[in-house]
Amino acid sequence: MLTVFNIQRYSIHDGNGVRTNIFFKGCPLRCSWCNNPESLDPAPSIMFDERICHKFGECRRIGNGGIILENDKLVINRDLILDTTVYNNICPSKALIVSGQEKTVLQILQEIEKDIPFYNMSGGGVTLTGGEPLSQGAELIDLIIQLKKRGIHVSAETSLHLPWETIENYVNLIDLFLVDLKHLDNDKFTEYTGGNATLVMENFKKLDETGRKFIVRVPVIPGFNFSSAELFAIIDFAAGLKHVSEINFIPFHALAKEKYLMLGKDYTFGNHRCIEKSELKPFTEYAERKGLISKILN
Amino acid sequence: MISDIKTTEITERIAKLKSNVLSARSTICTERAGFYTEIYQEFERSPVILKRAYALEKTLKKMTIFISEGELIVGNQSSKLRAAPIFPEYVTSWIINELDEFEKRPGDAFYITGEQKQELKEICSWWKGKTLIERGYSLMSPLNREIHDSGIIRAEGNLTSGDAHIAVNFEKILDIGLGGYLQSIELIQNKLTDSDARFFEKQDFYNALIIGIKAFQTFIRRFETLSFELSQCETDLRRKSELVKISEICNSISENPPSGFYEALQLTWFVQLILQIESNGHSVSLGRMDQYLYRFYKNDIIPGKINEDFALELLENTWLKLLSVNKIRSWSHTRYSAGGPLYQNVTIGGQTIDGKDAVNELSFLILDSVGRMKLTQPNLSIRFHKNISDEFLTECVNVIGKGFGMPAFNNDEIVIPSLIDLGIKKDDAYNYSAIGCIEIAVPGKWGYRCTGMSFLNFMRVFLAAMNNGLDEMSGKTFHIGTGNFEDFNRFSDLMLAWKDQVGFYTRATVEIDTAADLALEELVPDILCSAFVDDCISRGKTIKEGGSVYDFISGLQVGIANLGNSLAAIKKLVFEEATISKETLTENLKNNFEGKDGEKIRQLLLNYAPKYGNDDDYVDKLLYEAYMYYIDELTKYHTTRFGRGPFGCRYYAGTSSISSNVPSGSVVPATPDGRKAFTPLAEGSSPTSGTDTLGPTAVFKSVSKLPTNKILGGVLLNQKLAPSALTNETQKQKLISIIRTFFETLKGWHVQYNIVSRDTLLAAKKNPENYRDLVVRVAGYSAFFTTLSPDTQDDIIARTEQSL
Ligand code: SF4
Repeated sequence: MLTVFNIQRYSIHDGNGVRTNIFFKGCPLRCSWCNNPESLDPAPSIMFDERICHKFGECRRIGNGGIILENDKLVINRDLILDTTVYNNICPSKALIVSGQEKTVLQILQEIEKDIPFYNMSGGGVTLTGGEPLSQGAELIDLIIQLKKRGIHVSAETSLHLPWETIENYVNLIDLFLVDLKHLDNDKFTEYTGGNATLVMENFKKLDETGRKFIVRVPVIPGFNFSSAELFAIIDFAAGLKHVSEINFIPFHALAKEKYLMLGKDYTFGNHRCIEKSELKPFTEYAERKGLISKILN
Repeated sequence: MISDIKTTEITERIAKLKSNVLSARSTICTERAGFYTEIYQEFERSPVILKRAYALEKTLKKMTIFISEGELIVGNQSSKLRAAPIFPEYVTSWIINELDEFEKRPGDAFYITGEQKQELKEICSWWKGKTLIERGYSLMSPLNREIHDSGIIRAEGNLTSGDAHIAVNFEKILDIGLGGYLQSIELIQNKLTDSDARFFEKQDFYNALIIGIKAFQTFIRRFETLSFELSQCETDLRRKSELVKISEICNSISENPPSGFYEALQLTWFVQLILQIESNGHSVSLGRMDQYLYRFYKNDIIPGKINEDFALELLENTWLKLLSVNKIRSWSHTRYSAGGPLYQNVTIGGQTIDGKDAVNELSFLILDSVGRMKLTQPNLSIRFHKNISDEFLTECVNVIGKGFGMPAFNNDEIVIPSLIDLGIKKDDAYNYSAIGCIEIAVPGKWGYRCTGMSFLNFMRVFLAAMNNGLDEMSGKTFHIGTGNFEDFNRFSDLMLAWKDQVGFYTRATVEIDTAADLALEELVPDILCSAFVDDCISRGKTIKEGGSVYDFISGLQVGIANLGNSLAAIKKLVFEEATISKETLTENLKNNFEGKDGEKIRQLLLNYAPKYGNDDDYVDKLLYEAYMYYIDELTKYHTTRFGRGPFGCRYYAGTSSISSNVPSGSVVPATPDGRKAFTPLAEGSSPTSGTDTLGPTAVFKSVSKLPTNKILGGVLLNQKLAPSALTNETQKQKLISIIRTFFETLKGWHVQYNIVSRDTLLAAKKNPENYRDLVVRVAGYSAFFTTLSPDTQDDIIARTEQSL
């Protein structure tokens, strides 16, 4: 089974053509600005949108006190909930949902196949994303093989924060890697993501050596890497690799704020300002000078 | 060439004319009503066709005409700009009843003077007992009258207005001119012998046509004289020469075919105008303007007789003329057509009769001029086909990006084969154009109302099917059902109940149409409109008597998505999963989900059953099946012209609901799709607002699963587009590629785009439950707007304002 929290058709902002994005759950990193906080936990997560809650109370009737009403407010004690899936399809108004569904390869394929005519016309396909899609294991490989059989283009967004042995399995299967390059400094990387920058950079080099073209994606995050020194260093690193087809800058936005609230998580980046496209111009110019094709995504 | 046009602004002249039209208050003009009444009184005993010819003649000779400062295209509908003429022969009852309310209407108010009120009261009192609507009602069986009054079927528009919904043969008018028409009528009339079975009728008909066309010529010559007189006292030399030119043009086209683009456009407008003085039907459409005007354009532009800027000015002036036409409808009818639109359609693009791309420079020019004006008229339709260029589509998308809902697309790839299947000649099928909003016909050869006549309220019928035939709103059982929902043991029992009820009401719509048709034929035959539609002249018949080459009309259904969603919810939640019992459901429908647990039941219906618009076969197939029962029944019937000349005289389905989904919903109690009582129904074939959560490709898939080749009355699909969706070229190309897929691969029928406005976003912030489909898509992330935090929502709202 693969754990998927969203299958998003008509995705038009990442990659070529019209794509279906498959969002997988589970991530080895914990970037403090993460846009998809529901992706982090490999197990299904409870999300609760108070604004559309009618207080029907269905959710309180099951489980052992995981969800209670306190001062006319619904309180979710996530620590007490061992199996979130019992809350699946419980809430009539879907104010409380379980994000993340176990799906078979076939089930995912069926969803993907629905938009084949659109991929064909637009030169689109599928983007595997998450979370960290490559940490899904063998069944993901099955899925990709099935997609290849159908002639569907497959991209994968990855943090490369995985053992090279794992990544290696995908090198010849994925048509296009979209790889995150967040920071070069080990301490800062660890501080903000809980991970190891060296591992990522090593994997970048190994990926580069395979000779496959890939896109480097730089999340531009205020307070983390949004400074000339840091971004120039990142660009320099990318420019030093041989098979980078493009570098993309993704300016920070705080759209995920409400999702943190729904997950009962703190969001330290919730009040950070958004970055305007124009502020990134010096960096795209710098990247171009370094011989990289460069784009700002929005 | 095209890129230059996009950047230039409208000229000062056009800007001024535009502000004049937009700022003109809607008023009433009583002139036409007065002339028609006088003639009807004077010639009370004459055949109706002659009465109408004399009345038209008097109107065209005597009505106030004017030429506004700066205008290049002339011709006015009534005594003042945006004054709506009154057509007492159709209906007077609502005029009398609402006379004092015209100014107080919450939308579409009309201003009227006390004197005019008095005049109208007198006029209307004479018409009592003589009007179309009275005749129409008297022709309906008592049962049908009751059904009509119950609101399950609405046919009011047919009996309060003329027919229209037609495009006349502009190609031929421009080819032979008004003089040519006169000659051909006289030629045929001279051959008429008294051995002809319809000798007297035909004589009267031809005489009426001759009177009508001559009056039309007089009308044009009045403008010749007026502009000449104005030129005499004009001091501005440039304007003086413009007025002289207008005078020359009017002189020439009153008799001869036009010789250049300017003349051709002026004549086209005169025809369009005159049809809307003769009758008050709306959706009088201009057909394939980029085709029939092209030869004039080319002949003028190549030798440099006109330049593009001037051609643009002329087109824009014409669009303002279209906007100047006004129509007052009864308040109840106004609610079905919010904003008082007249749906004067212009169709461009498509293919030539030999299957080549028909897009030409004039197509681009028309598209750009409409985009620059951003008006509600004309209704611009693009005929899509697989060889249409990306360059043209990009231009279309640019205009869509301006956010005024135009242009709409119709798809040759489904329409043409469907027309040929119906038996339409290939050349004609390739020459179809849109009429009104989205419906289609072969211009100049098709009868009225390809758009349909009566609205059938699917959800009222569905509720009756659940209630053993009882219509709760009226408390009447018009057709005894197959049982009560509580007694149905299987889902198929419900489907059978629907089949039975919808069969009955389909037949009733045709009967009601027939009553309206007979009354229209008898009391308000059109003269000029018939003259300009083939083969009325050679057959010696008005369109309503069977004069047109083709005659097909559509039924109009409201509540398509609601029907599918209701069936799916019942099948899944009641019969398969037994989450909701039959009794609970019926009880909640009756009390509008207001009892204990009512909202919970409603949320279950909304959230736990598949919804049409999400590419889910479960619901899409149920809808197909249910819809086909209606279509199978409808196609059994004929129109009143059957056997009298035209090919066809049959019905097909049509989902165009204009804005009728709102008022139609206002008479429907709660429905099993979780819709609350008296709220709007879904629009056209679009998904219920807020339920299509998987984006546009899923909507396209669902819509294309409908029996679109049998819904030639149009499969209306409105799509919402976030303003951010068109910010760069790549995104535009992606939009084009999904439109191409929808049309080429999925054989979709129609689509039009509304850019999500600031107001919509504000409403979504306030009532998230109704806007769950609104998506904000950004890289690596996409969110439903309603799940965003309030400050993020505000931010997006603020940005929307900027980009629009
Ligand atoms: S790698 Fe991506 S999904 Fe994982 S925590 Fe970082 S931002 Fe979130």
